[in-house]
Amino acid sequence: MNITVTPATFSYVEFDADLTTRVARELAASMGLDRDVRIEIDETTPLAKIIVDVPTAANEPIVVHADSGAFEDTRRPRRQSENTTATSLGRVLYRATDRLQGGFGEAPADGELTLAQMAAWETYSVGRLARLGIPVNQQRWRYNFRNRHGFSDAGDESFALLWSSDGLTWGELQAISERAISVGTPARAQVGT
Amino acid sequence: MRTYFPVEELARDERFSKVNMRERMADPRTLAGDSATTTRKSRGNNNRLVPSRRDATDAARALMHGIFVGEIQALEGAGRTCHDFAVSNVPGTGPSGADSDPTTGNTVPFALKLDMARQAWDEARHVEISVKLSDWMGTEIGQFAENTVLFEAACSTDPVLRLAGVNRALEGLAIDVFTTMKDFGDLAGDPYLEFCEDWMLADEVTHVKMGSDWLRKVTENDPDRRKKALDFQNVVDKLFSYGGTRSDSEESPIGLARRFRELAGFSDAEVADIAAVSLAALDERKSSVAKMRDQAVTEMADQLGTA
Repeated sequence: MNITVTPATFSYVEFDADLTTRVARELAASMGLDRDVRIEIDETTPLAKIIVDVPTAANEPIVVHADSGAFEDTRRPRRQSENTTATSLGRVLYRATDRLQGGFGEAPADGELTLAQMAAWETYSVGRLARLGIPVNQQRWRYNFRNRHGFSDAGDESFALLWSSDGLTWGELQAISERAISVGTPARAQVGT
Repeated sequence: MRTYFPVEELARDERFSKVNMRERMADPRTLAGDSATTTRKSRGNNNRLVPSRRDATDAARALMHGIFVGEIQALEGAGRTCHDFAVSNVPGTGPSGADSDPTTGNTVPFALKLDMARQAWDEARHVEISVKLSDWMGTEIGQFAENTVLFEAACSTDPVLRLAGVNRALEGLAIDVFTTMKDFGDLAGDPYLEFCEDWMLADEVTHVKMGSDWLRKVTENDPDRRKKALDFQNVVDKLFSYGGTRSDSEESPIGLARRFRELAGFSDAEVADIAAVSLAALDERKSSVAKMRDQAVTEMADQLGTA
């Protein structure tokens, strides 16, 4: 498995391509991901968007596009955080792994996922990252889930189920998400979307 | 206890990391990154902090932490104003007045100190509320860098400048921020966020009103001093409109809370001025971004032409 990071050196931020490579390699090994991975960092933006392209051809690499904010230490602007890098990369690499390992064939492309579907998948991914030993703040992801599924006890139960699950299929994940919305009080912002 | 405490010496434990406004504005990504164009692809021209934004949860957490550290500094600032100045109940006593403090040349009425003491008590409560809200949203204390600009505005040796810079400009901004967060909580269905922001917003309106009232009273017979204070307020307002973060435009994450500003003692003309400054800051940013983009396109074309 080959991991490449671009750019190799940075001028807008104080990032370390070697650290990013090491983190990605360790994550991929833990997840059982055997594809090449190319990570492209846009250091000109402080935003934290991170997306992943998963090619169908086996000989093509998974490509991660990350804004610099996705790997940044929020305590020290422009510096890289190993933990944030691991959490951000881990989320998209788990999504890529899910798509490649089967059971997620019916999942919409990342850009087509609803906010609730994305929040459910993020919960499922970060829960597994936590079990890999990556330090995460569970309440952050619970709050994200609540924002997308409503603030209710039933929603929290769905969150706990996703967080603790392994080996879900897209159908199972979506069913948990839909159940949370149906019994909770969906955010007004979600109505009609 | 000494007077006039420098911002560098504010007491913080190891969880906190401070950045000042100069450091923040020196981040080259602020313009080069062009959040205006990057986000436009996914959000149209709407950058307002609402739950339907893809990054809404993390953006709300970051803003909530900004509120938290702002409340700490507001507490420190109001407390300093209680302590830093000698008392004179003669309205309009200025730097050269007969009752001036020999060290700084400035005094304040006793009732102003009482208002600042009440504000310090409010801010202490806001700090506690903000800690609990941050915890609720999954944010740790000190998780984001602390911008110390609020306390910097509270370091003036003229109490009237503090009223203008902190109570009117920064607490005015707080009205805009709390209104945005209250609406966010309401739309998201968050039972605590909407309620807490509404409560704190009521206090902020009172703090701004205190600033407006005292500014008028203390400078009643000193138009030059009043003008200097209002000029300082404009500078702080412009500083916080940097990049168009707050304006009437939907392209700004934080809106201008006109109604609450009116309640806080801003005149229609003053609100119109702030709106104009904010929009100008947004346009300035967009113009800078467009220039950088054009420059990059030209450089790329040159390189391709010579390749």
